[in-house]
Amino acid sequence: MLRIEHYSKTYPSGKTAVNDLTLHVHPGEIYGFIGHNGAGKTTTLRAVAGVMDFTEGSITIDGHDIKKDPVGAKRVTAFLPDNPDLYEFMKGIDYLNFIADLYDIPAKQRTADIGQFSDAFALTGNLGSPIGSYSHGMRQKLALISAFIRRPKLLILDEPFVGLDPAASHLMKGYLAELCQDGSAVFFSTHVLEVAEKLCHKIAIIKDGRLVTCGPTEALVGDSSLEDVFLELEGEK
Amino acid sequence: MRKFFALLKVSVQSMLLSSTNSQSRSRKKAATGVGAIVMIACLGLYLSGLYSYMLMSVLAPLHMEVLLFIFMGMGALVGGLLFTTFAVKGVVFGGKDNDLLLSMPVPATTLMASRVTAIYLENLLFSLFVLLPAGVVCLLTTQSGVGYSLLFWVRLLIAAVALPLLDTALSVLLGALVAFLSTKAAGGALGQNLVMGVYLVAVFYFSFNLNSMIQSLAVNAVEVKASLTWAAPVLWMGEGIMGDWGQLLAFTVCCILPFVLVVFGLGRIYRQAVTSFQARAARSDYRLSAQSASGQKKALLIKEARRFLGTPMYFWNAGIGLVFLLAAGAAALVMQDDLREMAHIIGPSVALPMAGMVIGLCLCTCTITAPAISLEGKYLWILREAPLDESALLWVKVGFQLLASLPCTVIAGVCIAAALELPLQQGAVLLAATMIFAVGQALFGMLMGLTFPKLDAVNETVVIKQSLATMLAMCVPMVVLGAAGALYWLGGMVAEWAALALPVALFALLSAVCAAVLVKRGPAMLRAL
Repeated sequence: MLRIEHYSKTYPSGKTAVNDLTLHVHPGEIYGFIGHNGAGKTTTLRAVAGVMDFTEGSITIDGHDIKKDPVGAKRVTAFLPDNPDLYEFMKGIDYLNFIADLYDIPAKQRTADIGQFSDAFALTGNLGSPIGSYSHGMRQKLALISAFIRRPKLLILDEPFVGLDPAASHLMKGYLAELCQDGSAVFFSTHVLEVAEKLCHKIAIIKDGRLVTCGPTEALVGDSSLEDVFLELEGEK
Repeated sequence: MRKFFALLKVSVQSMLLSSTNSQSRSRKKAATGVGAIVMIACLGLYLSGLYSYMLMSVLAPLHMEVLLFIFMGMGALVGGLLFTTFAVKGVVFGGKDNDLLLSMPVPATTLMASRVTAIYLENLLFSLFVLLPAGVVCLLTTQSGVGYSLLFWVRLLIAAVALPLLDTALSVLLGALVAFLSTKAAGGALGQNLVMGVYLVAVFYFSFNLNSMIQSLAVNAVEVKASLTWAAPVLWMGEGIMGDWGQLLAFTVCCILPFVLVVFGLGRIYRQAVTSFQARAARSDYRLSAQSASGQKKALLIKEARRFLGTPMYFWNAGIGLVFLLAAGAAALVMQDDLREMAHIIGPSVALPMAGMVIGLCLCTCTITAPAISLEGKYLWILREAPLDESALLWVKVGFQLLASLPCTVIAGVCIAAALELPLQQGAVLLAATMIFAVGQALFGMLMGLTFPKLDAVNETVVIKQSLATMLAMCVPMVVLGAAGALYWLGGMVAEWAALALPVALFALLSAVCAAVLVKRGPAMLRAL
C-alpha cells in the first residue's frame, strides 16, 4: 500500500531531517512510527501525505507516485496532522461536505457515513455550529470524521490520540482496526508506547532522521516492553 | 515599562513584518517591500500636498490659512478612523496570541496599552503624512510668513503627534462597539457587516459634507469657520498651529485625556472584553438531514465565498471596491444632470477617460485575491492533502474575485455611460477596458499573494490590511491606470481610434502577461510555500 524508498529530506538551511528511509506498509497493517521529538516523524508523514516536498527517494501509495501523480495518490489517502487547524468560519457540517466534495463522495454515501461517525463520536448535535466555537477535542473528532468518511486506502495520522477523551480514543482504535480488516492500511506516529504496542502490527523506530529498526511488533518487543526497547535503542538506558 | 515596550515591539513587528513569510525573507523581496512603502508614502504626500495647495490657493488671499489645518486635521481624523477602526477588532481584541500573552505575568492594562499604542503609531504616520505637507504648503504660499517661524513647526509637530491620540481613542471605542455588537447579533458576521456598513455610510456622509464646505470656501470662508463650532477640538488645533498656544494646549489635553481614559478604562476590563468578544458556545441541537453533493471547483468557490462574506474584516477591506463601484453607478444616475453639464464643459474626450479612471480606481481597492493565499495560513494543509491540482486552487481564487467584481464593473460602467450619455462606441470601449482591467487586477493580486505570502500572521488584519501583497495589488494597478491615461492622451494626438484602442491594448497585454506567469509559475510558487 505504501512504499517509501530511500526517502531523504534536507531543508534549505542544509539540515537533514530524514536520511535514506525505506519502509513498506502493506494492506491490512497498522504501522506505528515512533521516535523522540525532532526525529523526523512528522516530516516523513507530511511527505507521505503530499503536503511537503522532499529531496531524494520515492514515495508510492497504492501504485501512485506522490511526486509524479500526486492527485491519484491523495485520492486514496487521508492525512491528519498533530494539531488539525480547520476552517473556523465554516460550520462542522459545511466542513464535512467540503471535504466530501473534494473527494467526490456521493450524496447518499456521505449522508450515511457522516451520520454513522458523528453519532459514534457524539458530535452530530454540534455539526450546525461554527468550528470556531469547538473545543480542541471536538475539532480533533471532526477531523477524524472527515478522514473516515473518505474510506481511505491509507490513513496517515500524526499523534492522533492527543486531545481525545478516553471514549473517543477507544472508538478510534476500533475504527482503525475495522479499516484494516477491510484491506486499508494505517500509518501513524505516537508517543504513547503502550497504545502502539497493543494496536500496531508493525513498528518502526526513527532516531535523528535515520531508521533504527522496524518489523512486527511481537518480534521487536519480544519478552520485553516497547518502552524498554525504545529507550535502549535511543541510548537512554 | 520594559514589559510594555517588549509587547509593543511584538505588535509593531507583526505589523511591519506583514510583508513576507517570516520563514523565508529574501533581500529582493525586502527591497520590493521598502519600494512599495516608499511609493505609498510618496503617493500619500503627493495627495496631501495637492489638496493642501488647492485649499491654500483659495484661503491665503482671504487670510484664512487656519482653515487649511482645520480641514486637513478633519481629513486625518476621518481617514485614520476609517483605516484603524477595522483593525481594532483584530489587533486589540482578536489577536491569536491572546491566550499566550494573557497567561503571562503582565497586567492586562499593559497589554491593552501596547496594542492601542501600535494602532496609535499607524495613526501617527497618517497624521504626519497629512499635516506636514500642509505645513510645507503654508510655508511656501502664505504672505504672513507664519511658516518661516521655528515655533510654527514645533506647534505643527505637537498637533501632528497629539491628533492621532484622539483618533486612536475613538477608533478603539468604535472597534470595541463593533466587536461587542457582532457577538450580540444573531447573524454573527452579518450583524457585524451591517454595523460596519452603517458606519461607512456615516463616514461618507460626513466626507461629502466636508467636501461641500470646502467648495463654498471662496465665497464665505468666515461663515464656514463659524459653523464649525461642533468640531471645537480641531478648531483649537488650527488656531494652535497658527500661533495660539492656549488653544494648542486645550487641543492637546482634549487628545490625551480620551486616550488615557480608553487605555485605562478598557484596560481594566480587557480580559473580560477579550473573553466575551470571543465567546461562542457550540450549539448541540443540530439534526442531520440528507446532504447534497457538488463538484470540487464549486466546493472551493463556496469556501471562498463563505470566507469573504463571513469575515467582515476581509469583506470591508478587500471588497470595499465593490461597494465603491455600486455606489459610483448609483451616484452617477442620481447626479446625471450635473454630470452631463460637466461632460458638456470638459468635452467627451475627457469624460470617457475620467469615467474609466473612476471605475479603475474603485477596482484597485478590490483586492480579494491578494491576501487569499496568506489567509489560508495554518489551513493550507487541508488543500495540500486534498486531491487537487495547485493551478485549480489558484484559478478558483481568481475566479471568485472576478465573479464579484465583473458584475459590479458592468453595473458601474453602464450607469456612468448612461449618465454621461456616452456614444455607443465609447460606452462599449469603457466596458471592455474596465472589464479587462478587472481581470488583470485579479490576476496580479493573485501573483502578489503568491510572491509575498504571510502564512504565520497573528491576526487577519495584518494579512488583509497591511500586507505587502495587498499594498502592491492596490498601488501597481493605479500606476497602470496612469499609464493608460497617458496612452489615451498620446493616442488622441494621432486618431480617435488610437486613443480608444491603446489603453485597452495595454490592459489586455498586462492581463495576458499576468495570466501566463500564473499558469507557468503559480503552481510551483504555491508548492514552495
